[in-house]
Amino acid sequence: MLKTIIRKEVLETIFSYRFPLFAVICLLLIPLGMSVNQASYAKRVRDYSEQVRLANEAASAIKIQDVMAGTVAIKGFRPPAPLSVFTQGFESTLPRYYEFTQDGFKPGESASDDESILSVQGKVDFVFLVQMVISLIALLFASDMVSGEKESGTLRLMLANRLPRDTILAGKIGGGYLALWVPFLLAFLMGAVVLMLAAFPLFGGDMSTRVLIIFLGTSLFVLTYFTIGIAVSTSAAKSRTSLVAILIIWAAFQLIIPKLGDMVARLVYPVRTETEVSLQKSLLVRSIDMDQAKELGRQWDLIFGSMSQEARDKQDKQDSPENKKWGPIRDDIQLRARERKAQQLSAIDETYLQEKRRQLNLAVNLSLVSPSAAFARFIADVCGTGELERAKYIEAVRSHQKALDNELFSKVKRTLMIHEGGHMSLGFSAMPVDASKLPKFSITPASMAETFKANVRSLLSLLFWLIAPFAFAYAKFSKYDVR
Amino acid sequence: MAKQQPILKADDLSKRYEDGVLAVDHLNLNIYPGEVYCLLGANGAGKTTTINLFLNFIPPTTGTCYVNGIDVTKDPLEAKKYVSFVSENVMLYGNFTARQNLDFFAKLGGKTSLTKNDYYQVMRRVSLQEKAFEQRVKNFSKGMRQKLGISIAVIKDAPGILLDEPTSGLDPKAAEEFLEILAELKKEGKAILMSTHDIFRAKEIGDRVGIMKEGRLVMERTREELQYEDLVKIYIDYMKSEPLTMA
Repeated sequence: MLKTIIRKEVLETIFSYRFPLFAVICLLLIPLGMSVNQASYAKRVRDYSEQVRLANEAASAIKIQDVMAGTVAIKGFRPPAPLSVFTQGFESTLPRYYEFTQDGFKPGESASDDESILSVQGKVDFVFLVQMVISLIALLFASDMVSGEKESGTLRLMLANRLPRDTILAGKIGGGYLALWVPFLLAFLMGAVVLMLAAFPLFGGDMSTRVLIIFLGTSLFVLTYFTIGIAVSTSAAKSRTSLVAILIIWAAFQLIIPKLGDMVARLVYPVRTETEVSLQKSLLVRSIDMDQAKELGRQWDLIFGSMSQEARDKQDKQDSPENKKWGPIRDDIQLRARERKAQQLSAIDETYLQEKRRQLNLAVNLSLVSPSAAFARFIADVCGTGELERAKYIEAVRSHQKALDNELFSKVKRTLMIHEGGHMSLGFSAMPVDASKLPKFSITPASMAETFKANVRSLLSLLFWLIAPFAFAYAKFSKYDVR
Repeated sequence: MAKQQPILKADDLSKRYEDGVLAVDHLNLNIYPGEVYCLLGANGAGKTTTINLFLNFIPPTTGTCYVNGIDVTKDPLEAKKYVSFVSENVMLYGNFTARQNLDFFAKLGGKTSLTKNDYYQVMRRVSLQEKAFEQRVKNFSKGMRQKLGISIAVIKDAPGILLDEPTSGLDPKAAEEFLEILAELKKEGKAILMSTHDIFRAKEIGDRVGIMKEGRLVMERTREELQYEDLVKIYIDYMKSEPLTMA
């Protein structure tokens, strides 16, 4: 019996005027979107390779004098995410590179160099199509599956037979969804063929697993929307009422809730700008450097007395008792200053991160009320263009800065002193540096386990929206007034 | 001849809706094999509600509906094995052909091994034009759709048939053809309950005719009794009068 209903639903959907429209949208837009994004990805890969080559050349030519002069700025580039062909996510807004100096790191320009009108209107990628177009079509297809049959009287004819209502509901969901899923599957396969023809590394590393997860995740997402549509249809007596209701639900899930979540989070937990924090850090560094310089000057003056600059320079090079005393004191002052700086900078960073995390958490939690937001977050992370990638990127930047501090910037010690009377002196001590052995910037990609762990809330939201509408539809349809 | 068991039976059946309207009021009805019972009444008299109660689309407030001796509220799925239904407006699936519609409903009715020829035979039997068999139903006239509707009931071959104003909106020729089919089904021993506004056709086809008013069966006459009475006059008189006890 279930098979009969599934077959009927499939045929009814295929024969409807909406089906060819849906099939054309899928078969045209999905492969086209993948093709356009693949071309964009290939271009970014070429740019990336060239820029990394140039940056490596520049890094290997670094001399200790450059470090002493404070002119060294090493660039670390982020490789383009291959799966950005499915969703752009943060791909075009993340900095293409970070610049590492002895004063810390700062972001370069973002990856977006696209001057097409899509820069303003939003990129048409696979996830965008699924979120905005296919979800709406799934809702539209499902919206009159129950209420429409009630209006046409066929539901009464069906229920006049020895047919359990749950079988009808299961058949409607199964058949209706199958009719949507097959064109989607074909479009996805066509997209995959387009990518393979363009020499896209579809089977490299864990790429094929990720692509499979994208496909399965998207299939479940479409099923979620289809079931929501059925649930709405079982709650309405007329298909027109269903239609209005699903349009409101769609707008709420796609547009209102995700944006509202972000807006509410910004209002509840306002966060300072990067510039404000950066300024605070600069002031702190300057203040600690000044304190250090004053302390060094005071200690120098105590040890060496009021020598002339020339005499001081000579003294500095001699193995005198004063010098033996001066060395540990200087190192101790510099160490304490370094520790204080690190501690206080880290406290500023941590406070800022906490503020951001609190705001982000609230925004994410609110937005996850929408299955669409949950889906977009999960797929973006699977594709390496989401929040997880952003976190991994900044983690890699911090770690690279530390490595460069150890391997390069700490090889030069600048000793600025402010003596009594206010006059200043600057001394350098440098150790040899092998620029060819400097660490290379790299980002450890998030594993699938990390991706799933980071997306537990998104997956729970999707699961809820898959089960709840089905349970709701089941409860409603078991008592649905077919008259 | 020993009295047979009724195929369709309403026992002290009442239905009061949530808004307080008493749609069916203590209805007692027995329809036997080979019998056509016509239920007359104005709009809102309770005819369609009675059919809905037989199909368990709504639960009764009191009383019981039986189909082939099965209480429809206790075992609705089993009861539905023994009853077919044709509604006033048989819309069916417009994008399916007549045969595809018939095939779908036949399968729901438990007929899973029928061939294309079986479907054609049934459609021929209800006088559906041959060329319409493989045409999409959305282009059908109301008469054609009603014929297809009755072919769905025929193919299920259930002992009880419920018809909800099946001739409403049909042209005289189509209505006449429809009655011919009913007469054949009656000959086959089907118990038929037909709600209708059509007094003349009720008199023509009905073995018994009942008039409902405000949920109550206010009059019942057999075919024999109606030979000597003017059904139109009786109907109009009852419509004008206050509800009375069973005549």
